[in-house]
Amino acid sequence: MSGCDHAVEYVYQYLDDEISLYRKSRIRMHLRYCSNCTDAYEFEYKLKGVIRDRGRSDPPPELFDTLRALIEEEQQRDEPGT
Amino acid sequence: MQYAPQLYSAALRMTRSPADAEDVVQETFLKAYRAYDSYTEGTNLKAWLYRILTNTYINKYRKAQRRPSEVELGELQDLYLYKRLGEASGASQSAEADMLDEFVDTDVIEALESLPETFRFPVLLADVDGFSYKEIAEMLDIPIGTVMSRLHRGRKALQKKLWDVAQEHGITGNDHERLRSRRRVCLSVPGR
Repeated sequence: MSGCDHAVEYVYQYLDDEISLYRKSRIRMHLRYCSNCTDAYEFEYKLKGVIRDRGRSDPPPELFDTLRALIEEEQQRDEPGT
Repeated sequence: MQYAPQLYSAALRMTRSPADAEDVVQETFLKAYRAYDSYTEGTNLKAWLYRILTNTYINKYRKAQRRPSEVELGELQDLYLYKRLGEASGASQSAEADMLDEFVDTDVIEALESLPETFRFPVLLADVDGFSYKEIAEMLDIPIGTVMSRLHRGRKALQKKLWDVAQEHGITGNDHERLRSRRRVCLSVPGR
């Protein structure tokens, strides 16, 4: 397997930090001289951040009150008479 | 109430319905409160809560259909979005990464929610919530190898959807005027 194929195959495992030390260092060596793969790695790294930062939604503010009330009710059931 | 916002967001991506998401989160907190004795102090509380969340979702919404249908996504090229954006932008240096700035929250959310459940869950848990393969395997009760293959295929499908969204919204570099006006609307911050 060429250095580029190896780098592309393991791009997610590398970025997820779920890769063996051997593969990691092999990819690092490859990236040092392969600007195409470095570009692709930087792109995938940035995309991962975009998904993390823009893939979330905020809860409605009432949710916190609802949850608090729910837990309080449950606590009262646990400690009758208090 | 720790992690309530994250749990709600994950539940919303899973159910794709705000009302159902609230239901799932409420049930998750109740179950967590009742089962708190089974939580081991010092272990990952967030992962423990997410495990309850995914189980709650699966028990609630997947009863009739014991397992999600196995969907074929078709074979997609590696680095799918990178290559498409590269073709669209011509040869200019690192233009692909710059184009990622054009994706707004609704684009990413639409792409995530378009994924079939089998792939959506691992992608959500890894990319949005940052869990490890091992944690995801435990939450979804599947082997780590299955997590990895679903993530691999799910991420490629997500990239394809983002590419479709990019084309629909004219952010692939072919329509600069539209792109500029969209950016103004989305950021609506003077001077940016």
